[in-house]
Amino acid sequence: MRLLIIEDDMETAADLMKGLQESGHVSEHAATGTNGLQRAKTGAYDALIVDRMLPGLDGLSLVRQLRADGINTPVLFLTALADVDDRVMGLQSGGDDYLAKPFAFAELLARVHAIARRGTQAADMILKIADLEMDRLKRNVTRASQPIALQAREFRLLEFLMLHAGQIVTRNMLLEQVWGYHFDPQTNLIDVHMSRLRSKIDKQSSHHLIHTVRGAGYCLREPERDPD
Amino acid sequence: MTRISLSGTTAFRLAMRYAGFVCLLTIACFAVIYWATISQLRTQIDAGLRAETSALTRLYALKGIDGLQQVIAALSTTKGLAASDTGDAGPRQYLLTDSAFKVLAGSLNRWPSGIDSNHMAWATMHIRVQHNQPGLDALHHHFELRAVAVPLPGSYHLLVGQSLDELIEMRDTILGLTIGAVLLILIVGLAGGALVGRSVVRRLQAVMHTADTIMGGDLSQRIPEEMRGDEYDALASKLNAMLARIEQLMKSTREVTENVAHDLRSPLTRLRGRAEIALMKTKDSDHQKAALQKVIEETDGIVATLNAILSIAQIESGARRDWTEVDMSVACRDAAELYEALADEKGVHFDTHITEGIKVRGNRQLLAQAIGNLLDNAIKYTGSGGDVSLSLTNEDGVVVMSVRDSGPGIPAELRDKALQRFVRLDASRSQPGSGLGLSLVKAVAEQHAATLQLEDNHPGLRVSLRFPQLNSQTSL
Repeated sequence: MRLLIIEDDMETAADLMKGLQESGHVSEHAATGTNGLQRAKTGAYDALIVDRMLPGLDGLSLVRQLRADGINTPVLFLTALADVDDRVMGLQSGGDDYLAKPFAFAELLARVHAIARRGTQAADMILKIADLEMDRLKRNVTRASQPIALQAREFRLLEFLMLHAGQIVTRNMLLEQVWGYHFDPQTNLIDVHMSRLRSKIDKQSSHHLIHTVRGAGYCLREPERDPD
Repeated sequence: MTRISLSGTTAFRLAMRYAGFVCLLTIACFAVIYWATISQLRTQIDAGLRAETSALTRLYALKGIDGLQQVIAALSTTKGLAASDTGDAGPRQYLLTDSAFKVLAGSLNRWPSGIDSNHMAWATMHIRVQHNQPGLDALHHHFELRAVAVPLPGSYHLLVGQSLDELIEMRDTILGLTIGAVLLILIVGLAGGALVGRSVVRRLQAVMHTADTIMGGDLSQRIPEEMRGDEYDALASKLNAMLARIEQLMKSTREVTENVAHDLRSPLTRLRGRAEIALMKTKDSDHQKAALQKVIEETDGIVATLNAILSIAQIESGARRDWTEVDMSVACRDAAELYEALADEKGVHFDTHITEGIKVRGNRQLLAQAIGNLLDNAIKYTGSGGDVSLSLTNEDGVVVMSVRDSGPGIPAELRDKALQRFVRLDASRSQPGSGLGLSLVKAVAEQHAATLQLEDNHPGLRVSLRFPQLNSQTSL
């Protein structure tokens, strides 16, 4: 992916660029809001990583202007303000996701992936990964044609994983998207729910689809890419 | 310290303005009285003169010029001098002349100019009379004279006048009274204004004194209330309530700062230690990785603690006011569903008693977080095989949400302490957590005007949140 980082803190920007490069992405950096807006308008990027507090033009105004000009490149906001209200303001101004500092790099990467590929599968009514199939209309799930009974929340959890198949999803992303909780419960709640889901999806099969990514979260992917 | 000058006070200025207004009113009153009295006196004088003139005219008709001359001469000597002694309407002046205005009799020594003599005429004039009495020095007498002149048959002229001394005296009296009254009103107004002004200044000076002390850094100062139940007491009590709130907020800010400094010191020390270990074991990359992993975990813990402190401070300051009607039944069911898995994994029996359709006014995220924290605590402190339950009921309009567990509970004497920040009753700190869980619940409860109760569950702990009725709950 080609990414533009608009961030006035040079060290943060350098760390991000290094991390993204090691993950196989190309990134550019703009240190001011005005410069960032200029480059976001002219360059072709898969996603923008925008700091809320910027010299010249703040992040919110930058994204508003970008959207007003009809440029819909996905935007991930970075901020030191982690309040729910700030999050809402960020999303209202046209941002796609919001991440509070300090963050784990894995979290950032997972969210960038999620926003950059948003919409590719969102409209599909049938989701299919290997022999796992989900009918979003009839709300049923089968694995190797065997029906799997899921509770409503488990269904939504699996749906989110399948919509982001091949991508890493973090525990916080799941809490926000599946449960609607915008706070960190400080326990291994998500792990417990994932292990339940896993026992229903993967127990009967020799090929595991749900994988734990150490220090990051979970990933649902095709078994042939599985190194195990 | 700011001083208020007395003459500059609103009370004083109002008193002055009021006194001025009363003065004008008084002057107007006296003017009316003056005008009425003087015109009444003038009418009386004129009536008296008319009666006297007609009496003298009749006398002339009866007794002729000699008779009239005698009478006038007699009247002039008895009444002409000191009128006030006579007790009559005033000193009358008479003059009888022939056709050539030669004086025949009377108290005036010549016919005054400015009065017509050919027919009956009225005039007011200034007269200077010289009385020549045998054995006495010449007596000069100045006065205002109201006179009537009548021509008598046979070309005689008769003039009867009355001095206006009494009228002028009356006028002077009224004028004096007016001045006196105005002066009295001004003095009383000035004194009253000063008195009221001084009392206002005194009360306000107390407020300013308190403000100065507070600006000097002593936030515990309060404005003295005089318990009179007046508007100043009302103001002082409002200001004091405001000051108490500010002091409380300042105190909580200071506590947060102190707690942050205190509670982050140990994890930061551990963090530093682990980083050093990672550096030392340079040869063993597995150990290095493990140490770095610990560094990340420790950092996450520090960030989590910071976030918890900040969000409690934010909740307490009332900054999160995006309130809506929250379906507590749904919030409880969602939380139960989320935490049930955790209880299940730990071998804790978890059940719920949730009455449907219960709503409260508040912030959904905060309420969910409070329920979550309570469930988390309950599951955390209950051993395998124990019980945790969540209930939501409506007890006569009071929404009660409670979480019970069969864990060790909290001894009654420690329950207050458990609600303080950073307090973790297990000294060993064997369970993970920042010790901020219950503080957050308490802060959320306070913002929602709910009461938080810790009770004995025989065995275990029962934590209850009691919300006021939805309709009686004001959006604070």
